[in-house]
Amino acid sequence: MRPEFYKVLQSPILWGVLLLAALLPFVLPSYYLHIVILSLVYVALASSWNIVGGMAGQISLAHSLFIGIGAMLSTALLLKLGINMWLGLLISAAISAVMAAMIAWIDYRFRLGHLSFVLITMAFAEMGGLVVEGWDFLGGASGLLLPRDTGHFLDFQFGGSHGAFWVMLFLAVVCVLVNVAILNAPLGYYLRTIRDNENAARAIGVDVLRYKVAAMVISAVLASIVGTAYVRYLTFADPYLLVSPVITIEIVLFATVGGLGSAFGPALGALLLVPLGEILRGQLGGVLPGLHYFIYGIVVIAVILMTPQGLLPLVERLWKRRPGAVAAAEPPANAAR
Amino acid sequence: MAEFLQALTQGLLIGSTYGLLALGMGLVYGVSGVVNFAHGDFIALGMFMCLALYSALSLDPYVSIVITVPVMMGVGALVYRYLLRPMVGHKFLMIVQLTLGLSLVLQNGILMVFGGQPARTPSAVESRLWIVGDVVMRVPHIIAFVVSFAMAIGLYVMLRSTDFGRSIRAVHQNAHAASLMGIDVGRVQILTFALGIGILAIAAALLLPGTPIQPTMGLRYTVITLLVVVLGGMTNFVGIMLGGLVIGISEAFGTIYLSDILGMLLPYGIFVLIMLFRPQGLTWGAAR
Amino acid sequence: MLEIEHLVAGYGGVPVLHDVSLTLAAGEIVGLLGANNAGKTTLINSLSGMYAPMSGRILFEGTDVTAMTPRERVELGIVQVPEGRLVFPEMSVRENLLLGGINRRARPGRSRQMERVLDLLPRMKERLSQNAGTLSGGEQQMLAVGRALMAEARLLMLDEPSLGLSPLFVQYIFGIIDKLHAGGLTILLVEQNLNLTLRHAQRCYVLERGRVAIEGSADAVKDDPRTRSAYLGL
Repeated sequence: MRPEFYKVLQSPILWGVLLLAALLPFVLPSYYLHIVILSLVYVALASSWNIVGGMAGQISLAHSLFIGIGAMLSTALLLKLGINMWLGLLISAAISAVMAAMIAWIDYRFRLGHLSFVLITMAFAEMGGLVVEGWDFLGGASGLLLPRDTGHFLDFQFGGSHGAFWVMLFLAVVCVLVNVAILNAPLGYYLRTIRDNENAARAIGVDVLRYKVAAMVISAVLASIVGTAYVRYLTFADPYLLVSPVITIEIVLFATVGGLGSAFGPALGALLLVPLGEILRGQLGGVLPGLHYFIYGIVVIAVILMTPQGLLPLVERLWKRRPGAVAAAEPPANAAR
Repeated sequence: MAEFLQALTQGLLIGSTYGLLALGMGLVYGVSGVVNFAHGDFIALGMFMCLALYSALSLDPYVSIVITVPVMMGVGALVYRYLLRPMVGHKFLMIVQLTLGLSLVLQNGILMVFGGQPARTPSAVESRLWIVGDVVMRVPHIIAFVVSFAMAIGLYVMLRSTDFGRSIRAVHQNAHAASLMGIDVGRVQILTFALGIGILAIAAALLLPGTPIQPTMGLRYTVITLLVVVLGGMTNFVGIMLGGLVIGISEAFGTIYLSDILGMLLPYGIFVLIMLFRPQGLTWGAAR
Repeated sequence: MLEIEHLVAGYGGVPVLHDVSLTLAAGEIVGLLGANNAGKTTLINSLSGMYAPMSGRILFEGTDVTAMTPRERVELGIVQVPEGRLVFPEMSVRENLLLGGINRRARPGRSRQMERVLDLLPRMKERLSQNAGTLSGGEQQMLAVGRALMAEARLLMLDEPSLGLSPLFVQYIFGIIDKLHAGGLTILLVEQNLNLTLRHAQRCYVLERGRVAIEGSADAVKDDPRTRSAYLGL
């Protein structure tokens, strides 16, 4: 593990920001708190996807499978079989891990090209969605309603939006730190070689299968756990939200626009675009159907045209140019590279 | 048996149009490396334009292509020139995200103008049927088949026998060498993209009769086109047409033998099987 | 015919050529020599318009072409036979040749030019419908030269035509080059092969690390002791 990782962990900026963030529930009105919570969910999800899509270069659209399993399965296990949701979380994560390993193995064994992999993972995701819609145990097309959140932590309840906020903040930080850790560990190095030239990596003896599986499994487990937490916050397990390709498309958008492959890029993308989307929807949603998404789409296009390398490189450049920047403590964004 | 033939026929008829859609995407990919994820939304745009022209001027969709094709081609050229060309050379995924943003804009632009209720555009031939033995065919599907097939052949001839077609193939095979011949690569790219969009405008009119249209319908066509184009090895002409037929037929079988919802499972499944065991897709003969 | 004045060019912001000046008179064969990374291909590509120069001028028959696009340069008659042939592999010999004559100036007379080129290169006539990717290296070089001739070149630039060719083919290609020169075509020949170039070119420039190190008649360059060291990087 490279020392950069520990520098990030010890960075006073990081902890200062986190401390301030932890105080947000006491300051923000509930509507804005909700937006922040949503943003944190997507920070976590985008960061988890980044491990497979950004670092390993495998554009997988199967993510909704793992999120969906984490959300729908744990809920179904609780409602239909009375299984405690903590246990359900673990079971879902384990199943997600197995599916992730299978997908990675298929990719390796059949030497799939990039676009093929995209479409095949998308096919799996769609099939998963169809399975959920058709199977009553998992709620079918109408979804599942969780019991009210009364704050019993042992029952996997957070006690309202304050609790949910801290849980999501924790998960988001964990996901980002996992990114930082991987980037500064041998795994990150191997993933990069696979991303840049898989055939060359195989040729020099890199165990491509093992690392692809590792990336996919870590990514899936994180996504699944976030899925379980997210559904608890929402209280209603909606298959059209949680198991649909739309959520994957959004995650990929945030990760790419923010800066694919970097530790903080996806977080940046999510923190920018989720509030933007929510605020647009809040302000304009009732005015004319479609207006808010129309503007959202324009903003996305504009942002991409202006920062085709992603937001993070731009932010890094501005950060470096700030007055008195040179000898100052390394900003976390840099340390994560 | 009758069901089998029905499914087969339906699949073949629609598959030809799917192939045409994918040819457009394949051409653009071969020449500029761009995969347009707003592909289906341009089809939706074409369909809604036909709807508008029908409401305003009572034009049958088959007739209004005279207007929609040039307009869409113009839009396509502008989109390429100002949105896509600046991105050439950047990460593929970033370009894809831009087209996704474009997809949002198109979908919701349509939604804002036309509202979200499904709408139908009547056409002179929409309810006519042609019955051969036990197989019932709808005339619009037959027209779509014939026109798509004819256009595919036309494209093939254009690529093989005209200078423009040759420059497209040259840019695809070696853009640097093509420049050295004095071919304006940028111009070829923008024209090819406009051509692709023009094809979509025609396909929109072909697919329109009898289909209720909604602003969100584009995604389905984008996904189908992607499946077909990847099956066809991205740029292999015959492979793409074959891919179109395969997807069309598996979709028909899926919807007839399984339910409507599960219908898509079959094309996905067949796609996965083919790509796993034949990673180069259905490529046949020389690439373009 | 061609004047390059103080050209500074490169790509990705990094200059490869530093202050290169050279001239070609109409009807000359001029050789451009130098070791591997001396900048020969960059120079030829700059002449073709593939890189915008960072400073300096290129004049062709008195016209300043520095800002012209590759297409405009081909239309003026500045045509390149690229290094590595770069034929279009999935197109037939005939289609490659047709593409050579696609520019506005050459297009009208293309069929006639095709006959002339095929007379010059009879081997190509035999293989008209064969895919260029299946030709041997020497045949591909012939095709590349024929393709460039289809463009009705007034200045023909060849980048390493002997690379990877058997001695027989090299002889053949250079025989063609001599024939073209005898017919009045101005030729810029970029080659690593010292002796070959000195035998066919009238004048030579030797590039070293992006600068003109030596220039003069072929004989003068041959006898110049610095030529060896420029090649061996001494």
